[in-house]
Amino acid sequence: MTKSAGGTAIQSSEGIKKRFRVDDLKTAVITVLFGVVGAVLFALIHSIPMPFTMVSLLKFGLYPALAIIAVLGAIRGPLAGFLSGYFGIVLYDLLFFNTVVSMTLPALAYGMLGLVVGLATYNLANGRSLAKLSLLSAVGLVFTACIAVMFGLFIDQHSVLLELGFVMLPLFTVGLPSVVLITPIYARIWQIISMSIQTS
Amino acid sequence: MFESIKKNKFVITTFVIVMVIGGLTFNNVRAPAIPKGIQTINGTTFNFADYPSLTHEQIAIMNYFNELVTGQAYNKWDGWGVENYHWALQYITAFVTYVFSTYTEVTSGYRSSLYRDFAYTQIERMNTTIAEYGNDSMEYYEWASIPGFTDYYYPNATNPGPDDVYTGGFRGPANIMWTGHYALMMLLYERNFHLGTMTDEITHYIDDWNLTVTTDRLGHPKDGGLWGTGLITCEPYVCFAQCNSIPIFTTELYDNLYGTSYMESGMWNHGLNFIEANITDEYGLYTNGYFVQRPVGWGPNSDLAPQVIPGQAVDPSTGGPSLSSYATAWALTFLEYTNPDVTIPKYPTFLDLYGRAVSGDVMYMLGSYEHPSSFGDVFGILGTVFTMVLANQRGDYATRDRLFNLLAGMLNKVWSPDGRQMHYDGSPFDILLSSVFSGFSVWSTLPVTVRDLAEPRPAEFWNYPYISAADDDNIWVYQARWDPIKAGFILNIQVDKTANLTFSNFNSTPTAYTLYRFLGELTASGSDYVLTLQPGTYQIVITEGS
Repeated sequence: MTKSAGGTAIQSSEGIKKRFRVDDLKTAVITVLFGVVGAVLFALIHSIPMPFTMVSLLKFGLYPALAIIAVLGAIRGPLAGFLSGYFGIVLYDLLFFNTVVSMTLPALAYGMLGLVVGLATYNLANGRSLAKLSLLSAVGLVFTACIAVMFGLFIDQHSVLLELGFVMLPLFTVGLPSVVLITPIYARIWQIISMSIQTS
Repeated sequence: MFESIKKNKFVITTFVIVMVIGGLTFNNVRAPAIPKGIQTINGTTFNFADYPSLTHEQIAIMNYFNELVTGQAYNKWDGWGVENYHWALQYITAFVTYVFSTYTEVTSGYRSSLYRDFAYTQIERMNTTIAEYGNDSMEYYEWASIPGFTDYYYPNATNPGPDDVYTGGFRGPANIMWTGHYALMMLLYERNFHLGTMTDEITHYIDDWNLTVTTDRLGHPKDGGLWGTGLITCEPYVCFAQCNSIPIFTTELYDNLYGTSYMESGMWNHGLNFIEANITDEYGLYTNGYFVQRPVGWGPNSDLAPQVIPGQAVDPSTGGPSLSSYATAWALTFLEYTNPDVTIPKYPTFLDLYGRAVSGDVMYMLGSYEHPSSFGDVFGILGTVFTMVLANQRGDYATRDRLFNLLAGMLNKVWSPDGRQMHYDGSPFDILLSSVFSGFSVWSTLPVTVRDLAEPRPAEFWNYPYISAADDDNIWVYQARWDPIKAGFILNIQVDKTANLTFSNFNSTPTAYTLYRFLGELTASGSDYVLTLQPGTYQIVITEGS
């Protein structure tokens, strides 16, 4: 019984390692590299001022950097996705504003987007699978918004008004359409590029 | 690749929707950077990047203010959104003037009637009297409409004896929040236009303040002046560090401009020491007032009166001193020229206590750090915009941009149909925010600071060539100044419609050079010279002779 339980635990551990793409050293290094490249891409794209329109207190527009986090999760698993979001925010804050916000805790919220998306597997050539990617990106972003607001309210002691109006609402009205719509486009482009590389 | 993408209907659909959303929300884009260039003329190199410049948006915002200021009678406020803020009219008028004075310093070689009229009109708008405009006047809104203000005496507020000093006058001695701003507005006009028409009135205020802070106003010298604080009150029973920073700054500029020595005489020494000792919190940051007299009747800050008077204004909800980010940022900005060794070290502490990060690129200032969960009240917003100006003066551009992003990322930019004017639309939050944020967005992003304005222009400046008249409505002047070392006039300009620019102070026929077009000699017109420009963008260097 004990032996069987131990065996299941080992299998489970192996499964997690595989899911996170860290089942051996080489794979783990490549996964981390994907995360780092994703973080750099995120920081660069995030630094480009994006157009937007306010309708009363609601902000509308696109936030293409967020889709980078989601697509990294989709193509290289939850760890790469998490690192893209987490380090992406940390890198952006450091490079462009020379600051670290609340010991990088809010960055964890953005890492969560890549983590959630990366937990599933996708066939990026398949439309249904891309639709699943869109759906999970939306779920991941809801997690991001909730965690970001929780950190803001309970750790930074921000007002509810600030967190709802300046954090949660923009994440929903700008972030949600961005991850739902742009992530599959990035994913498809990545799939085509990787296929071309493999073919050549 | 595109063939492959086209095969996937889901991706095509999302792509189309992205295009539609992107198109529908394609607003609030940053204006492109102003083109700069390098020109070498007769062996002298002029690099436009070496000279301060305005941005397209800064000019568009000041065009918006120009219409609000000069486009209506002195006592009218259409378009300002101040229906519920009549008490704030004097501050709005004064601070828009400070924005404008800082702005015009950037293009110091462009002094057409557009700029003179704006500055002059602001002074007139600040000085509307009951005698002329009745209850639509600044005197009424700012002073006479508040019950009891016109009846004050010191020390016995309402039952004066022979030794009591009348303090209920609109023009002083206990209305520094108006006299200070009014005098500084006039002094900046003199600094920037050198006309001498307002010097006597400014001198009157400087002398009157000197009397108040060094005597009992009954003819006897008195340490600390009338109230023993070395400062001048508002309302008329409470002294503020921020309000007194204005006359202190004014006195500095007055001394520098006219060669007097009021500051050297120690006129404000007692007051400056009093501020540090009595109008600060435990961290040395400025608090929101010090009561010298118990308020009688209602006043804007009378609810902050402490149990013991004289004493520091109190926050009724905490029992501690009344804390204020806007007061601190304002005072730190204007006192920096006088007291840099004291004020500059306070800046990091100020940011630590009042600053709150929303994210790496967005932050705001609390109205009071004793209320960390507060956000969105008028004092927090004021603290945020004043700190933008302070951060710019401190060269802390990352903090300035983070504060700027809070509101810039949530307000639409509204351009006029002809593309000449722009403002931020604050109406979803409060209509007043439109003019407030538009003004502070310019002030905090200029390459000239308040501290710089304390120094007058050198005497020879008034002999430098400059643009004395222009078709102002047709042009965007990004850079305009005489370089006295290289003896060339730098002009970076966009012309919408054919425009004439008249230059004064050239001693001989000037010649204009651009990178792409030889513009030739300017046309003589009396003692002036005229440059005619067709629509386009130009980086021009104008030198005397050919």
